[in-house]
Amino acid sequence: MTVSGEAPLLELRGLTKRFGDLVALDSIDLAIRPGEVHCLLGENGAGKSTLCNLVFGVHSPDAGEMILAGSPHRPAGPADALRRGVAMVHQHFSLVGGMTVVDNLMLGRESGWLRRGEYAARVSAIASEFGLKVPPAARVDDLSVGERQRVEIVKCLMRQPRLLVLDEPTAVLLPEEIDALLAVCRRVVASGCAVVLVTHKLAEIKRVADRVTVLRGGRVVAVSDTPSRDIDVLVRAMIQRDLDRLEGAVLGVETAASSAEDVRGHAQVPAAAAPARAQSARLEGVRVVDPAGAVRLEDFTLAIGSGEIVGLAGVEGNGQTELGDVIAGLTTPAAGRYIVAGKDVTGSSPRELTAAGVGVVPQDRHAVGCIAGMSVAHNLFLNRLGRFARSGLMREDALLDEAHVLMRRFDVRAAGPHARFSTLSGGNQQKAVLARELSIDNLVFLLAAQPTRGLDVGAVESVYKLIRAACDSGVGVLLISSELDELIAVADRIVVLYRGRVMGERPAAPAQRTAIGAMMAGHA
Amino acid sequence: MPDGVPSNAGGGAARSAGGAARGARWRRWLASPTVISTAAAIAFAVAAGLALIALTGAQVGEAVAAFIDGAFGSAYAVAASINRATSLALVGIGFVLADRANLTNVGGEGQIAVGGMAATAAALYGGVAGLPLGLSFILPLTAAVLAGGLWGGIAGVLKLKAGTNEVISTLLLDFIAIWLVYWSVQSEALLRQPMTHSSTLPESLEIPDPTKLPIITGDPGVPLHIGLILAAVLAVLIAVVLSKSLFGLWLRAVGLNPTAARRAGISYGGVVGAALAIAGAFGGLAGGIMLLGEQYVLKSGFSSGYGFDGLVVGLLARGSVGGVIAGALFFGFLRSGGINMEMVAAVPSAVVLVIQGLIVVTLAGAAYWTRSRSAA
Repeated sequence: MTVSGEAPLLELRGLTKRFGDLVALDSIDLAIRPGEVHCLLGENGAGKSTLCNLVFGVHSPDAGEMILAGSPHRPAGPADALRRGVAMVHQHFSLVGGMTVVDNLMLGRESGWLRRGEYAARVSAIASEFGLKVPPAARVDDLSVGERQRVEIVKCLMRQPRLLVLDEPTAVLLPEEIDALLAVCRRVVASGCAVVLVTHKLAEIKRVADRVTVLRGGRVVAVSDTPSRDIDVLVRAMIQRDLDRLEGAVLGVETAASSAEDVRGHAQVPAAAAPARAQSARLEGVRVVDPAGAVRLEDFTLAIGSGEIVGLAGVEGNGQTELGDVIAGLTTPAAGRYIVAGKDVTGSSPRELTAAGVGVVPQDRHAVGCIAGMSVAHNLFLNRLGRFARSGLMREDALLDEAHVLMRRFDVRAAGPHARFSTLSGGNQQKAVLARELSIDNLVFLLAAQPTRGLDVGAVESVYKLIRAACDSGVGVLLISSELDELIAVADRIVVLYRGRVMGERPAAPAQRTAIGAMMAGHA
Repeated sequence: MPDGVPSNAGGGAARSAGGAARGARWRRWLASPTVISTAAAIAFAVAAGLALIALTGAQVGEAVAAFIDGAFGSAYAVAASINRATSLALVGIGFVLADRANLTNVGGEGQIAVGGMAATAAALYGGVAGLPLGLSFILPLTAAVLAGGLWGGIAGVLKLKAGTNEVISTLLLDFIAIWLVYWSVQSEALLRQPMTHSSTLPESLEIPDPTKLPIITGDPGVPLHIGLILAAVLAVLIAVVLSKSLFGLWLRAVGLNPTAARRAGISYGGVVGAALAIAGAFGGLAGGIMLLGEQYVLKSGFSSGYGFDGLVVGLLARGSVGGVIAGALFFGFLRSGGINMEMVAAVPSAVVLVIQGLIVVTLAGAAYWTRSRSAA
């Protein structure tokens, strides 16, 4: 911007942060210029979130300094950082669900009598200035994930920050929402504010980044002033591997959007071949009604052949959660049947389904897929801890030994099987959950719901390799994802879920993208 | 850490005497923030208590002497204090077990009450007095365990079927049980002794001698009963169950993340129900032991706050069975001393309750202080 050309808005010098023995950030030097979108790229555990948390005052650095607009930046906490003009949108939102958007935005900002109308007008003014669509009077509980994120961004922008930090904002968004968010980033920097955008997605960097810094193992390994030209270099720096070796799935949006050719690593199986396969699992006319009486799934019928990956596309909230609960044995459908390997398992408990060979990788691994306060070993065998009990007492040695084997087989990296699960990076947590579900005895059917959400390129690759390997050994896989390009790259055929019903089915080919997108929006 | 300095100096003196590795470990333990802050909290509460005693106009020296005499002054006093601690420890162990599943059992008082009633009924009318091999008191104790387990289990069923928070249900079940005791000793159709004349007290008959818990020392002047041994065995058992058993893992899993546990095939209802029932059974056992070991006669209000003291012991132990035992002994001696202080030095026993409350608050504050220090 106008302020002395390229003088940095925020400068980090030798910034270091340790957590116990782990060096999360090792002597980081970094400059953020006013009016730029600065992308932070890196695998999970590279130190991106730690860096954001230092700038936002969540943690304080062990060494080094931060300089904000020429003066030392030592925030005592997030509130202090906000006063200094640094705002941050976290991966996990901090909104009160039962309150309206305006009430949420007023929290901590207003005192005395509340003037909702006046405040709502200010919210709308800010929102329209930056092209953010938020309904001020709506209850947060009724908003989609994308809408909630926009509310968080408006909350930040109302403080007129000099620096806006977005920690992996696109991980939870639909393709159109991502476009809108990137446009908002451009508008925000046009107003003179700098934006730090944490992401794994290369397509986003190409489209929005002015500059990119790549972190690996807590160090800066690459900086680029011309990111769209340096993509290959950046990716190599991030994962230290050649781009060519990565599967099409890894490149996500970019591959599918830019090329109509099929560049995927695995063979395409035409949809017509499916009925010839042995059947892994079948859902017939499943109907689910929630406690409030609303129909969540209606006449849902789908057969998954063994050795087949069926992708389930759809905007979130169209019945995916309920379907996942039926498959996991947490909900008994009001009607319909659920058959695994020819056996009717409708209404079976989770334990019985595990015994029947059903593996489930739940959508929200933090909340329901693992017990963060327990060890890696306990989590790896959570669904069959009893195997290690002799007259009620746990044989911890045997458990640790077997956990060790499983960790090696599935490349789960941790300090050891006894390490707390919460100390693992997101990718390793997901690999551990997969290891648990894929190592179920006589596995015949696997449900993987959003298995790569929030994971970096390297971890996405390993997750799909594991799923593909299970598939090759005859397991039928139902893959639920809101990222259509990922489904196109990985699945054999794609079924679209819309308002609890099957809208239609298409082969997983890039050429089908538009047709599938239309079905996701409810146009058959 | 200002408190660390004087204690380290004290450790220096110990080093010259011992010097072995064990000495070093002890010194480190003594200098650990938890121990220092706990000691400081207790010292503060006791000092405040002494100030309160002075304010009531009593002689502080005389009161302290009476307190010490009541708590440790004789073999009888020590035995009574330990018996008291035994009941508190049982309630505390039950609390800790349920707490592992993230359940808060505040129903100790009611579980003691139903346990005491069941034990009395079995001892007086169960026809057990003539049974050999200790069955004469084992069966009434079993009745107490079952009654307490049932009382805790009701809270479990309410939680699972109706979603009632166990804090609410166990607390309200306390009141029901306390008034059931009142009713049972008022009505001759229940447990009241036969009314022979107008001044017959509203209490049960004394239980027959064979149903009373045997005294370990063999000396009625030192009434330390076998409840102590029973509690010690159970403490070890539960410590093992919590740390080494499959059930212990289930409790932890359900406590830390019920949804993930359920998904993994662990029966949430089974674990929650069992945890509350077991916690209740421990309360019931405490009630049975109080009745068969010390009181011998069921009276209204016989549980007299043991359940709530046991709850406090469980809370302060923060998940550790060893902590329960330490806390139970501490409270046991504190209460015995306090009662004597009231009788001899005319200090209201309420002062002891105030000190007890102060200790709880300062310990909680100290725990918060050490945690925030170590987190920073």
